[in-house]
Amino acid sequence: MIPRTLVVTTALLFAVAIGMGIYVAQLRRRADIASPRTLQAEHVKPPAAGPAENVTVWVARDDDGKLHAQSLTVPLSSERQPRADDLLRALLNIYQSKDSPHRVGAGAEIREVYLVDPGLAVIDLNAAFADGQTSGILAEDLTLVSIVQTLSNNIPGINRVKFLVDGKERDTLAGHADLSGFYAVSSIGALAKQLSEE
Amino acid sequence: MRWNRDQRLRAGYLVLLGAVAVGQVTPQPAAQAPQAPQSQNATPVPTHAPALLVMIDPAHGGTDSGAALNAAFPEKDVTLVLARRLRRELFGRGIQSQLLRDADLMLPTDQRASQVNALQPFLYLVIHATSQGSGLRLFTAMLPLGEDDRGSFVDWQTAQAASLARSRLVQEQIAGSIHSTGFPVRALTAPLRPLNNVTIPAMAVEVAPTTGDISQLASSDYQQMVCAALANGIASAMPLLTKAGRGQ
Repeated sequence: MIPRTLVVTTALLFAVAIGMGIYVAQLRRRADIASPRTLQAEHVKPPAAGPAENVTVWVARDDDGKLHAQSLTVPLSSERQPRADDLLRALLNIYQSKDSPHRVGAGAEIREVYLVDPGLAVIDLNAAFADGQTSGILAEDLTLVSIVQTLSNNIPGINRVKFLVDGKERDTLAGHADLSGFYAVSSIGALAKQLSEE
Repeated sequence: MRWNRDQRLRAGYLVLLGAVAVGQVTPQPAAQAPQAPQSQNATPVPTHAPALLVMIDPAHGGTDSGAALNAAFPEKDVTLVLARRLRRELFGRGIQSQLLRDADLMLPTDQRASQVNALQPFLYLVIHATSQGSGLRLFTAMLPLGEDDRGSFVDWQTAQAASLARSRLVQEQIAGSIHSTGFPVRALTAPLRPLNNVTIPAMAVEVAPTTGDISQLASSDYQQMVCAALANGIASAMPLLTKAGRGQ
C-alpha cells in the first residue's frame, strides 16, 4: 500500500507544478505583448552619429509607377553594417513622410540588414511592412527594387540578396513578389533600369 | 518452411529498404518537366494539348482573394472575368485557349505550374489586376539564383530559364502590338511565381484602370478593350511561338 504522506506530497508537487506552469504562461504572454513596443522603440532611435554624406537613394513613386534616383544628405556610419541600417532608415523615412511617394504600412520597419560574406545581404522586414504593402506585381516590385538598389549602390560588394519577414522565410511580400529565393543584385539592377525608364 | 516472427520482421525490413532505395535512385528523364508536390486541391487536368493552345491562368482564387480592389470585387474575380473574355477574343482570332481555373478555386502556384508543364501549351499567360498605375503591364520572370548543377534534373525554382529568351521575345511583340494602338503598356520583369517554374514561354499580365478609378476594372467596355488588345498582341506573336517548335 502507498503511504499517505507520499500521496499528499505527490499531490502537492503536482499542484505546485501546475501553478508554476500557469505563472510561466502568464509571464510569456506579458513578454509577447511588451516586445513589439520595445522593438519599435529601438527602431525609431536617431541614426548613428557619423559625417553627413551625399548619397543616392532609389525612391519608388506610385503616381507614375517608376523608380527615381534621388540625392540625399544623411549622416552615415563608415562601418558597413550600421551604414546599411542608416541608409535604409533614411529611405524608409521618405516612405513614412507626410507626402509619401510610395505608401508603406503603419509601423513598417526594416528590422535588420545582415551583411554576410561573400556578398550576401539578408534584409529582414517586420510583419507590419509586409502586411501594409500594397498588393500588386508592380507595387511590390517597386518596393523590393528600391531597397536593394539603395543598399547595393551605396555599399560595395553586395551581389546577392534575400528577404525575410520577422526573421522567417515568407512566400511573397503581399501576394505577388516571390521572397522564397535568393536574387542576384545584377538582375535587380536590370529591373531597376526598366522601372526608371520613361 | 514456416518463418518465425524475427525472420518475418527481417524480411519486411529488407523489402522496405529496397523500396526506399529504388525510389531514391530512380533518375528523372532529362526532358521530363519538373513536377511540384501534389496538392489536395486538385482540379480536372486536361491530358493533352490541342495544337497552338494558349493556357490562360486567372491568378488567385478560392481563399486567396488577391488584392482587395474593393470590398465587392476582389482581384480573383476580376482575373476570372478577364480570362473568360480573353478566351472568347482568342477564339474569335482562331487561337485555341483554355483556362487553368474556370471557377472560384484555390490552386497553389506549384500545382498551376505542374499542370502547365504536363500539358505543354505554346504560351502560358497568368492574369492579375491592380488598382495602381495605368493600363497593362507585361511581366516575364526574374529568376532567383539557381542551385548547383543538377545534371539532367531541372531546378524547379529556375525551370523557366530555358524558355526565358522566347518569353521575352513574345513579351516584346505583344507589348509592341498593344503600344501601337495607343493603349498604355509596359514590359517588365518580376520575381513572380509560378512564372519561374513553367518550362514553356510564360508571361504575367497586370491590368490596371486607365482613369485611376478602380470601378473601371469592373466595366465590361474596359474589359473588352483590354482583352481585344491582348488577343491582337498574342495573335501577332503566334508566329514567334510556332517558329521554333513547341516547348523549346
